[in-house]
Amino acid sequence: MNAIEMSHVKKRLGDFSIQDLSFALPSGAICGLVGENGAGKSTTIRLLLGGITPDSGAIRLLGTDSTDDAFLSVKEEVGVVLDDACFPETINASQLGNVMQRTYPRWDAAQYAAFLERFELPAKKPISKFSRGMRMKLSLSAALSHHARLLLLDEATAGLDPIVRDEILDLLLEFARDEGHTVLLSSHILSDLEKVCDYIAFLSHGRLLLYEDKDQLLETYALFTGTAEQADSLMEEAVVGRENQPYGGVRCLVRRDMVPPTLDLQRPTVEDVILFLVKGAKDTCAR
Amino acid sequence: MRALILKDFYVVGKQARAFFLLLLVFTCLPGSFYNTFAIFYATMLPYTVMAYDERSKWDHLAPLLPYSPGEIVGSKYVLGYLSCLAAAALSLILRLALGSFLHQMPAQLVASTAAALGTGFCILAITLPLMFRFGVERGRLVMFFMIVLVCASAGVLGTIFFSAGELPPSSSLALPSALLLLGGLAVSILSIPLSIGIYRRRLARGN
Repeated sequence: MNAIEMSHVKKRLGDFSIQDLSFALPSGAICGLVGENGAGKSTTIRLLLGGITPDSGAIRLLGTDSTDDAFLSVKEEVGVVLDDACFPETINASQLGNVMQRTYPRWDAAQYAAFLERFELPAKKPISKFSRGMRMKLSLSAALSHHARLLLLDEATAGLDPIVRDEILDLLLEFARDEGHTVLLSSHILSDLEKVCDYIAFLSHGRLLLYEDKDQLLETYALFTGTAEQADSLMEEAVVGRENQPYGGVRCLVRRDMVPPTLDLQRPTVEDVILFLVKGAKDTCAR
Repeated sequence: MRALILKDFYVVGKQARAFFLLLLVFTCLPGSFYNTFAIFYATMLPYTVMAYDERSKWDHLAPLLPYSPGEIVGSKYVLGYLSCLAAAALSLILRLALGSFLHQMPAQLVASTAAALGTGFCILAITLPLMFRFGVERGRLVMFFMIVLVCASAGVLGTIFFSAGELPPSSSLALPSALLLLGGLAVSILSIPLSIGIYRRRLARGN
């Protein structure tokens, strides 16, 4: 079963629009949603949860259509973490637990208390006194304490130091160990996505430019570093992106199956693939 | 909706202390109109909560959680009604206790409190859809304008029909008070679906 299905979803928001967005994320997978600022990552997450109504297209979460009356109860099985905690600042973690207990029928107070303890979050201190890292940990604690099957995170690791980011990523991996659990995670930090994701979705200007299995993606593409003449000798279709090196020579992202097997290639990172795609290096670099 | 109401009460917790203090001061002041101020002040609590919600971005998160638009909107009405009722009840009890000191008849007090409660319900019913439409910042201006208008109208009418500083006889207050209370409830019946519709359109527009 697919945990998330978006089919030809369109939404216009002033000058910006989500254009014909379609993808399906299988249950048990972790998907990284990548894109520049304003690409539509947050809008996609809001569309998925009914925070914005689409102009057209269909959205299904955990097998239920977003227009269905039962969609509200499906949201009880979804954990949400936005780029800020977004909880009222005057309340404390203990009061937040009381509110969430009345929000989610399957709220697990013991689990929540265990998270607060694990993250060393004070129960009685107002959220306004929390650091950004503490807020994000609190947000994750709330999202993971009601036995959610799907976790949606929007820039949850942005602005956090590497240690806290690592803790959060470990928690995501822990969550995803259960094969019925699915995660959609938007982030600018591509190395984080590379560490945890099974799928990569790349949005640009409201369009989904790429949606692939991460391992497949890294198998499909390769990095070639050499002279301009060597690069010029490659088939035009084989070169996805090309950039000049500061000390001479060129670096290209190529389709592995379209270049001669004798060529010395390196395995790219997700960041390499995405950056070449974003920059549209193939079109902008003069040959 | 219980979760949202509980959240709102946690948020106004500190405001509630100031509210009760003001309520005490207003109630103990001699003069017929002061207890109505407490009820009008209570109508502002939902907007205080909405301002906190906007500041913390809770208004962005809430539609993503398992709350329906009806619950999100309805919780603000419930908070407003409960605050008004609490203000009216406390004010009435205190005024009755201080009745001999303030020289007011219980029947007059009940009628004037009911009138103030009805007016409070009307204020909520008229201003909450505006808050959902325009947001707290701009909606608040309309709210203050409404309160000034209501107070000024009450003052003018009072000056025309009754001698200054004295409540009219309870018999002449009973019917207008009952009508105001019923009117407040009737306007609310129209206001709630209107606010839910406005809120749904906001979700459709994506703001």
